[in-house]
Amino acid sequence: MIRVDRRHFENFDFVLLLLILLVCGMALFNLYSASYPPKPYGTPPYLKQAYFFLMGAACCLFILSFDYNDLHIWNYPFYFSVVILLLLSYVVGSKAGGAQRWIDLGFFNLQPSEPAKLMLVISLASYYSRKEVIDGYNLKQLIMPILLTGLPFLLILMQPDLGTALMLGIIFVSMTLFVKVKFSTIATLGSTALAVVVIAWEKLLRPYQKQRIQTFLNPEQDVMGSGYQIFQSKIAVGSGGKFGKGYMEGTQGHLHFLPERHTDFAFSVWGEEWGFVGCLFFLGCYFSMLLWGLYVAMNARDRFGVLLAYGIVMLIFWQAVINLLMILGFLPVVGIPLPLVSYGGSSLLTTVAALGILMNVRMRRFQTHNPQARST
Amino acid sequence: MKLFFKEVEEFSERDEEAVDLLRRRLLGGAAVILPFFSIIIARLWSLQILHGDDYQKHAYSNRVRVQEIAAPRGHILDRLGREVVTNRPSFNVVLMREDSHNIEDVLKRLAPVLKEDISVLWERIRKAAGVPRYMPITLQEDIDWQTLAYIENHNQEFSGIRIEVKPVRVYEYQNLASNTIGYLGVISKRELETADREIYSGNDLIGKQGLEKLREADLRGGKGHRYIEVDARGFERKQLKQIDPLPGSQIYLTIDAELQRVAEDLMNNDERAGAVVAMEVKTGRLLTLATTPSIVLEQFIGGISHKNWNALRDNPKHPLLNKIVQAAYPPGSTYKMIVGLAGLYKGLVDRDTKIYCPGYYSLGNKTYRCWKHSGHGAVNLEQALEQSCDVYFYQVGQWLGVDTIAEFAQKFGLGEKTGVEMEHEKSGLIPTKKWKRQRYNERWHEGETVIVAIGQGYNLATPIQLTVMTAALAMNGRRMQPQLIEKVVDPSGEVVETFSPVVVSDEEFDPRFMDIIHQGMVDVVHGKKGTARKVAIDGLKVAGKTGTSQVVRVAKYRGLKDEDIPYHYRDHALFTCYAPADDPEIALTVVVEHGLGGSSTAAPIAQVILEKYFEEYLNEVRASEEKENNA
Repeated sequence: MIRVDRRHFENFDFVLLLLILLVCGMALFNLYSASYPPKPYGTPPYLKQAYFFLMGAACCLFILSFDYNDLHIWNYPFYFSVVILLLLSYVVGSKAGGAQRWIDLGFFNLQPSEPAKLMLVISLASYYSRKEVIDGYNLKQLIMPILLTGLPFLLILMQPDLGTALMLGIIFVSMTLFVKVKFSTIATLGSTALAVVVIAWEKLLRPYQKQRIQTFLNPEQDVMGSGYQIFQSKIAVGSGGKFGKGYMEGTQGHLHFLPERHTDFAFSVWGEEWGFVGCLFFLGCYFSMLLWGLYVAMNARDRFGVLLAYGIVMLIFWQAVINLLMILGFLPVVGIPLPLVSYGGSSLLTTVAALGILMNVRMRRFQTHNPQARST
Repeated sequence: MKLFFKEVEEFSERDEEAVDLLRRRLLGGAAVILPFFSIIIARLWSLQILHGDDYQKHAYSNRVRVQEIAAPRGHILDRLGREVVTNRPSFNVVLMREDSHNIEDVLKRLAPVLKEDISVLWERIRKAAGVPRYMPITLQEDIDWQTLAYIENHNQEFSGIRIEVKPVRVYEYQNLASNTIGYLGVISKRELETADREIYSGNDLIGKQGLEKLREADLRGGKGHRYIEVDARGFERKQLKQIDPLPGSQIYLTIDAELQRVAEDLMNNDERAGAVVAMEVKTGRLLTLATTPSIVLEQFIGGISHKNWNALRDNPKHPLLNKIVQAAYPPGSTYKMIVGLAGLYKGLVDRDTKIYCPGYYSLGNKTYRCWKHSGHGAVNLEQALEQSCDVYFYQVGQWLGVDTIAEFAQKFGLGEKTGVEMEHEKSGLIPTKKWKRQRYNERWHEGETVIVAIGQGYNLATPIQLTVMTAALAMNGRRMQPQLIEKVVDPSGEVVETFSPVVVSDEEFDPRFMDIIHQGMVDVVHGKKGTARKVAIDGLKVAGKTGTSQVVRVAKYRGLKDEDIPYHYRDHALFTCYAPADDPEIALTVVVEHGLGGSSTAAPIAQVILEKYFEEYLNEVRASEEKENNA
């Protein structure tokens, strides 16, 4: 199974590695400021994040050692493990902020909804690559993907974690639309989804979630309440000006005006401290990394590789876009982290593992065709 | 790019069909990523470049708070620079919420030190719940030295407790010129509405009465400001900037504190209600502004208690009234100089014209008594003034008519406000026929002229008006504006306002006529039959006029001995004078309410004051006299 091919090293993508290291480096740097002053007890967040990064890097080494096509098989146990973990989080998990999201493993809190996102990408990529349809999928053929998505979706929605649940939905839509679907099927699914949304608004959404959406529609109206976080974020970013206030000089962050600054609003800290120029540079690296991911997809050797690479890019992209739009005042607060930047062990590990898979796809783009890749 | 195409060619080895379908759709992926990237960059441009300054302002206002530092109020001094009103630091015990960890324990220890029940302290904390977090809560104001020392020495027991310093008024001469100086109080809601909000805020002390109010703008100085940085919980993190407060300007009064003290003591020692006004005749400077009884300014520090206020309000001698300008009395015989002058001018009498006083005067079917029931006999103007004969003036007055008397009275400023820098000045009253018709819708009766001529009837004059009148007599008609501000000096030492004499009227009266009036007034004090001969000062020639003004004509009290008449029905005692008679410097008016006799009550007070004023001169004169005697 583990075949060490000399070509692997030749084909190793240093560009992607460089981009990833740049982004992670800046993110760690930022995290130090975003979590300053450190609490007198426990490990400071930036250090924890660094540990997770190293753990993730070690994971990647392992991931790179096998062919990504093995994921077709490993996909099943991974998926079920994640579902079991999600179920466990209800039984054993800790309630924080009114949500049943974590499992305390002692040295870190595992948030199963994070790996769930990656598992969904892999599962859908596996399904869509094995079942090829020329004219586009019809409704019957989409039942499996819908079920694959639906199960974790509902489990996460009940935590309740609306943001991550919607994320799963976005992954499903992105990947499904990417592979050809019959128009009639799209229409049917689309209208069903709309109906579901309407029902959900009335019946399922909690007041604070409705409030968040209403604030989004008019954020200035409740500056001291739910619009406060967005308003403070805009102040932090806007007051950064052209060149920022300088490292560690972000007053909005350091004086606690900016809430959740090491998690959801981590990029606001960067914006305040490094200004427009700093944002341009960081986002340039970040989006270059994403576009490079598409390039990897472009040159993947098989359908599974393309779908994996594409799915991973979309996974990171949508989370990043939602987070950025939120901190810039375009979206309500939904609790989606900025991958690699926001503090969070589960998110970082998942994202690094995903990038590891991306590297894997890239690395084996010239490999001779592996009979296991074709399905009958 | 070339690399890109090279790799594409190598696709021939790979699963081309399978990927081809998807490859084209990847561009769609880029087509989704790029627009979002642009939107985000555009938004950053908007927030950071276009509106960066606005957000800077928001960030600033988030974190910066401004605390006020009280400005030391300007001092009030007398003309020689003696400090009359200054400031002292008062120490307040305040609670800093952010630093206090165990409020319960701290208060338990603090309450006995402050000699207050702990519930009172809690109440103060509770009341301040709505105040911003970084502002301290005042637990006790104006603590004494021992309490201050104890708290400072046991600092570590009182976490979160701090001492705040605020300036508070000190009245060095205890109560000098208190009604004129006035008191401070907390700015009221109504005052705040019309005030300049850049200068005033809720808890400020503002002048409420007297000069403290009239000269508020000069005295208040400028508040200092302390810019502190606070965090989102509202606690102070550090101080950014401090602008020191600007002290108020110093106000020098024209008053001589020593002379004022003498005047006030003379009145207060016998519990006299009334006023003493002294003025420089040549310049208009007010040297003494005494009104008794007066308010106690110390009582107003920190807000006057209900008990004290009610005592002031209910006191029948009206300490809240500044009698110098706010009380108008019938001038009585002090009016006679006016009538005499008018008579001379109208050719009705001259120096030698004698009028016979049998002790009464008949007009129609009415009889008007002279104060000396036995009569003065035939008297000329000088004698009539000297002995204050009523009949002489009844006659001249009747000849003149009320309107002519009014005309001359107005030349001396009577019947109109002097415009001196004091509040609620009354204009007094000089009746005319027209006035009576307008006021009462009645015709003027000749009998009323007769009593007007001796300063009774509708006549009313304030003590300052009488002083201005006397000063004008001293200056042969030249009437000066009474002023009480000598100079105003700003904190840098620059004199921003300085006294300059203002001539209100420079009409010069005929010196022949004035001579007669002068002589008459001199005789009042130095003449053998002068009504004020008992107060003549050896070595100083004084010209004056006594006056006894009737309060009310109550039949049952007529003819009674003075002591038997109830206080409020007793006549007022007046005395107005100037000295030295030949080259006048000072004009002085003493009004003693219900003092009965001008000569017996008012004149002796004037005597002491004049002796004090001319102290040096008199000492010299007496010293050289002794030398002569010994030689």
